[in-house]
This record gives sequence, structure tokens and C-alpha cells, in this order.
Amino acid sequence: MDFELDEDQIALQSAAAEILQKECPPSLLRAVIDGKGVDDDLWQTLVGLDWPALAIDPDAGGSGATAVELGLVIEQLGYVADPTPFLATATQFAPVIEASSDAEQRRRFLGPIATGGTGTLAVAGPTGRWDPADPPVSAERTSGGVRLSGRASFVIDGDRADEIAVLAATDSGPLAVVVPRADATVTREPAFDLTMHVTTVDLTGVTVPDDRVLAVDDPTAAFTAALESAVTGLSLMTVGACQRAFDMALAYTKERHQFDVPIGSFQALKHKAVDMYTLIERARALGLFAALCIAEGDPRRPLAAAMAKAAAGDAQHLVFKHTVQFFGGIGFTWENDLHLYLRRAKAAELIFGGAAHHRAIVGRHVLSGADL
Amino acid sequence: MKLTFDAETESFRQTFVDWLEANMPPEAATTERPSSTADLPQWARDWQRTQFDAGWLVPGNPPEYGGQNATLIQQFIHNEVLATRHVADSFNPQALGIIVPSILTFGTEEQKERWAIPILRGELTAALGMSEPNAGSDLAGLRTKAVLDGEEFVLNGQKVWTSGAHDADVILTFVRTDPDAPKHKGISCILVPTDTEGVTRRPFGSYISPEDLDFNEVFFDDARVPAENLLGPLNAGWKVANGSLGHERAMLWLNYSAALDRFVDEFRNAVAGTDAADDDRLVDWYGSVAIDAQAVKLLGYRTLAKTRRGMIPTEQSILKLFSSESNQDAHARAIEELGALGLDHETLSGPFRHLHLDGYMNSWFDGYLRTFAGTIAGGTSEIQRNIVAERVLGMPR
Ligand SMILES: Cc1cc2nc3c(=O)[nH]c(=O)nc-3n(C[C@H](O)[C@H](O)[C@H](O)COP(=O)(O)OP(=O)(O)OC[C@H]3O[C@@H](n4cnc5c(N)ncnc54)[C@H](O)[C@@H]3O)c2cc1C
Repeated sequence: MDFELDEDQIALQSAAAEILQKECPPSLLRAVIDGKGVDDDLWQTLVGLDWPALAIDPDAGGSGATAVELGLVIEQLGYVADPTPFLATATQFAPVIEASSDAEQRRRFLGPIATGGTGTLAVAGPTGRWDPADPPVSAERTSGGVRLSGRASFVIDGDRADEIAVLAATDSGPLAVVVPRADATVTREPAFDLTMHVTTVDLTGVTVPDDRVLAVDDPTAAFTAALESAVTGLSLMTVGACQRAFDMALAYTKERHQFDVPIGSFQALKHKAVDMYTLIERARALGLFAALCIAEGDPRRPLAAAMAKAAAGDAQHLVFKHTVQFFGGIGFTWENDLHLYLRRAKAAELIFGGAAHHRAIVGRHVLSGADL
Repeated sequence: MKLTFDAETESFRQTFVDWLEANMPPEAATTERPSSTADLPQWARDWQRTQFDAGWLVPGNPPEYGGQNATLIQQFIHNEVLATRHVADSFNPQALGIIVPSILTFGTEEQKERWAIPILRGELTAALGMSEPNAGSDLAGLRTKAVLDGEEFVLNGQKVWTSGAHDADVILTFVRTDPDAPKHKGISCILVPTDTEGVTRRPFGSYISPEDLDFNEVFFDDARVPAENLLGPLNAGWKVANGSLGHERAMLWLNYSAALDRFVDEFRNAVAGTDAADDDRLVDWYGSVAIDAQAVKLLGYRTLAKTRRGMIPTEQSILKLFSSESNQDAHARAIEELGALGLDHETLSGPFRHLHLDGYMNSWFDGYLRTFAGTIAGGTSEIQRNIVAERVLGMPR
């Protein structure tokens, strides 16, 4: 396996790092949190760079790069705790639409992403289980199309997505339906990641025409595959957020002096720093591997995505607790930016199943004899 | 970034696999168990010689040193095939992995002829004399002295932990040659034949078993060694100690990776037919071991790819630390998860695994004990953390 980025990928990675750190400083996050600013300009910048449509097929209006390139950008988005609707659009909505066998449908729903269109997917119920085998929304065929009923919970960006991909159960098996956000009743829920939009989407009584039913043979499989992309995206976003918190804490150990020496000379902090570094590298390697499996259509992709999410969860757990500790009292303040990134890392752990959930998937899979 | 190697590389792999299958000694020929890391039964000597002659012993070397001038990626493939098949190329691993590369890097042509080639061919065996009772992690604090007297060095002092010394023909010995210089600058490296008068080797048991005799105390009492046995320049021993960590050692992670993969398989076999998959706690832990095993492989691949492109593979620094600790935790948990079944203790009496070095120790408990070699030898985990913090993360000393 050739597991290193090529020159174009390295160039993309450093461009993303440079642009995002400039365009999305902590002050922007704070302005968004305080309701004094919006992330529209940042989103337009991302759209201008063609990043939301990076991995979308050129036939549907995208750039035709792969999940690896997308993953590299997402890691950098995590590094700045991206407040835009990027992640749900590129890693949740787009993969569902891509499963459609109807080229016209793919163009219709994916095409707008290149010019700033947004989307998300709705599959979780009120308990927060993202299980495509058990969707919270049901549907009924009517003369006017498909009538929906039910509420989807924990929908990311449901309040600002143009389109919502919904998995709806019917008597004759599930349907994948694309609902205009304007038709749904969406409530933004409070969440500790203050720039993440966590919403509840009520679809009861909404009817969509037949041409909004995706042409997929197996809607459950399409959503399952989309969740693998979603999980991989969240994993790499977590890696980026962890790297940010780690870089901040590491820099602090070199500046802050106590007992007349930099605190970074204390072995207790050194060893914790190495443990964080190790778990971040472990998570990054597995995140990129999952992206590579998706890019190459490798059959290990479900396992690889679960490994990535578990490893990202392990990393954020340690990075959260050690980096706050490294800062001492300053880490406990609102003013210190550290918590902005830790919130993103911890919130990402709670979505689409945490580390324990994904370890169990891996454990059962490998115990049953699957190859790594 | 690709999941597969190119066709040329895969064809190199196939060539080696074909050769291996045609030339590996059959199981029946390998039943005599090596008793230490420098004890080579005749079959093990023959096996090493076969590889040497065919250019498969150290493929990266030129043919006169048992290789075929293989590229880095080909060397990796060779190592990967051996590691995943659990086949040992040599049963004197410290010689092949550390001592020979040191001689080939720092030695004279005569020293390569006299020592490196016979060791590579399995005609001579070697041990590594670095640690002393008072110089472990602080290796540069070593005190064994060598004083030049005419054409000879006269050695006095003591080494300890010297694996396989009692079965070795020569010990690569680190000695103090300038007691007045700063401690890193007064060290030299000397090849000491073990039949030298004044060299006494005393093997002692490991905690695995009193019969597991690999460790040695080695005493030097006015032991006289020809001056030509000095390896590298006088007082440049620290450079030799660090220099032997070349390409060969860069691939050591493959052994750790293979150990983790083997663990994943063996534990699965151990619980086959039980209701282990219903135990959420067990599944959770086992999943994390499988994740570690995959992560070690990926980090290793990344190290390889970066090295090939002339980039600095910073991940390499954590591979030994991460994989040895993961392997250790895995074994500890395995015994506990197995409950009373974990008491099983075949130890040295168990079957010797065909061509596989770690096959001596067969019980889960012995396997666990063995994992501490990974976290203590070759730089303890704590020392590794110090090094990574200072050299990779740039934290102040
Ligand atoms: C299986 C095995 C095979 C070996 N084979 C050989 C061989 O063939 N040849 C050879 O020369 N040696 C060999 N060794 C010796 C090995 O290199 C040493 O054991 C090792 O370097 C540690 O030294 P020590 O045992 O003196 O422990 P110490 O250095 O005394 O360490 C004791 C504890 O203190 C910690 N410690 C020490 N310094 C620091 C520090 N600066 N910061 C934080 N913690 C610290 C260590 O991490 C450890 O936990 C072998 C050891 C083992 C276990």
C-alpha cells in the first residue's frame, strides 16, 4: 500500500490549512456564537474554491476528486472548527444522492452544491440511533406523490440545508426521498458545540412528488453507505480539532514558565503530550485509510469507517482532558480559545455513534473471522 | 495514495514467496529448538546460509553480503512476507538486525571479511554488549574500560543482559576508552571474541523460566583483544551505537505489527465456539486491539512511503512505543478474559512453532511476560516518550 499523499494532495492540504486559518479565526467563531456575525462569507469562500463539490462526479457538476482529497480538506475544517454547512452537505447528503441510478436526479440534486447549495440527511430517531434499518419517518404513496409522517432527530444543519435526504419506511420497504427544507418544520436544538446546528425535522404531513424519490434499488444500503462517508468525515474533522487543541497546548508548554523553567520540561507533561500525539496519529491514519477505502470502493470500507470513528473518539477523549490540564487555570476560562475546538471534538464523538459503538462493530466483525 | 503496490513490486513479492516455498526447511527438519538468541542448531545455520547464497538474507545488501541490492520498497516487501508468515530469517536476530549492519557501516574491509560475512552465513553468532549494571537507560554512563597496551586493548568491567552471550562467538562490546572526555565522547566499540582469556559469561534465567537462559552477565578481567578489533574510530562508539539504527531497524515495526496480528488471530481461535461475541465488554476491548493492529500497519506504511520520498517520517518514532504497549495491554487483558483457561501453562515444553522465533513460549501468560521485552529492551517506553517529546514535539529538555 502506498500510504502517503502525492504532491497535489499535499498542495491541497497546505492550501486548505492556510486559507482556513486565515478565513476562520477564533474571532469568527466567537462572533457566530454571540450572534454578532455569520459564516456566510466563509461558506462563499469554500464554495468559490469548489471544495463542497470536491468529491462529486464531474457529470453531476462536481470536481471529480476523491474521498481522500475531501478528507484532507475536512481535517483542516476541523482544525478551525468550521461553522458552515460543509460537512453535512459533502459527506452526508451528497453520498446518498450519488447512489441514485438516475443521472438526471444526480444532476438535479448534486449540481447546486457546486454553487453553494446545501443538504443533509435525516435518519436518526429520538434515541439518537443512526440505524437505517429502523428509520423514524414513514411514507405512504398517494396520487400526488409520497406523503411523509414522523420526526427525525439529531439532523445536522436541518435548519440551513436546502434539501434533506430522508429514509422513509413504507409497507413495501423503505424509500429514499429528497425533501425541500422549506416544506419541513425544523427546530434547532441546544447543543454544547455552539457552532454546530443540531436540529429536529418534523415531516408529518409533507408530500413530495414522485420525482423526489431517489432511484435506488436498496435505499437502506444507500443510507448505510452514506453513513460510512459521514462517519469518516466526522472522524477526520475530529482529528483536525484535536490537532488544533494539541498544537495550542504544546505551544503553551514552551511559553509558560513555572519554577523558573518552561512547563514543557516537566516529564509528566512530556509523556502526556506523546500519548496525545500517538492517539492523534493513530486516528489520522485510520481516518485517511477509511477515506481511501471509500475512494477505491474497497469492501473494507464499513470496517475502516468504524475503526476511524473509534480512533477519533479515543483521541478526543485524551486530548480534551490533557489539553485543559496543560493550560491550568487559563484552560478553565471562556476567553481561552481552547474550548472552541474541544467542543467540536467532543460533539463529533456523540454523533453517528461514539467510540464504544464503533469498537463493538469492529470487535464483532473481526471476532467473526473478517480480515483486516 | 493507493491501497495497492504497483505491479512490479507485487511481482517481486511473488518471486520471493515462490522462492520461500521452494526453499524453506520442512517442519520435520526444524524440531531442534534454539536454546538462546545466539544458539543456532545446524538446521538454522543451513537455513540462514541458504538465504545468504540466494541473496534473500538481507536483500538490500550487495550480493557479497547476502543481498541483491534491493530497493527500499523491495526490502519492505521481503520483511513483510517474513513477518506475516511468521518465518524467522535468523535465529540470532541481534546479529542480523544490529551487529552486522554496524560492521558493514563502520567496519574495515578486513572486519567485514572476518566477522560480517561469517555471521551472515550462520557460521558465527554474535551478542550485543551495551548494558551494564549501572548503565541501562543511561547507556552513556557505561564503565567497562578498555586501555590500549601496545597492539592490544585490555578490557576490565562487566556487562549484563547480554542476550545469548554464552552461545555467541563474538560480542560487540561498548567500552570506555577516554575516562576524561564528556561521557558520550569517551566510548568505543570493540569486537570481543568470547574465547578470549579473561572473558567470563554467566547465563541466568529470565522470569519466564529458570531454564530460559538467554540473559548473561559478562565479566572482563584483563581480557586482551587485538587493537584491530576496534569498530569505527577510537572514541566514536556513541556514533556506532546510534548508527546501527538504519534501514533494518526502521522495519522492526513489522515484527511488532505481526505480533499484534497474530494476537488478534490467536485470541479469536482461543474463544472460537464460546459465546464471547455476546460479551459486550470483551467485544469492546477486542475491537480496540484490532484497531491498534490496523493503525500500526498504517503508520508503518506511512513511514515507508515518507522515507521513500526523502521526507522525515516522524511517525516512526512512535511505532515501537505504541505497538509494544498495545501488544502488552492486549496480552494482559487476554489472560484475564480467558479466566481459568488463562492458567494454562505449556511454557518451554510446548510445541516449537515451525521456523518461528517467539514460538518458544506458548502459554498466554508467557506471551504476556515476553511483551515486556518490547517495553524495556532497546530503550524503555519512558525513554521513548522522552525522545519523542524532545525531538519530535520540540519540548524543552
Ligand atoms: C529481554 C531483554 C533483552 C535484552 N537484551 C540486551 C542485550 O542483548 N544487550 C544489551 O546490552 N542489553 C540488553 N537488554 C538491556 C536493556 O537494554 C535495558 O534493560 C534497558 O536499556 C533498560 O535499562 P535498565 O534495565 O537498567 O533499567 P533502568 O534504566 O534502570 O530503568 C528502570 C526504570 O526507570 C525508568 N527510567 C530510567 N531513566 C529514565 C528517564 N530518564 N526518564 C524516565 N524514566 C526513566 C525506566 O523507563 C524504567 O522504567 C535487554 C533487556 C531485556 C528486557
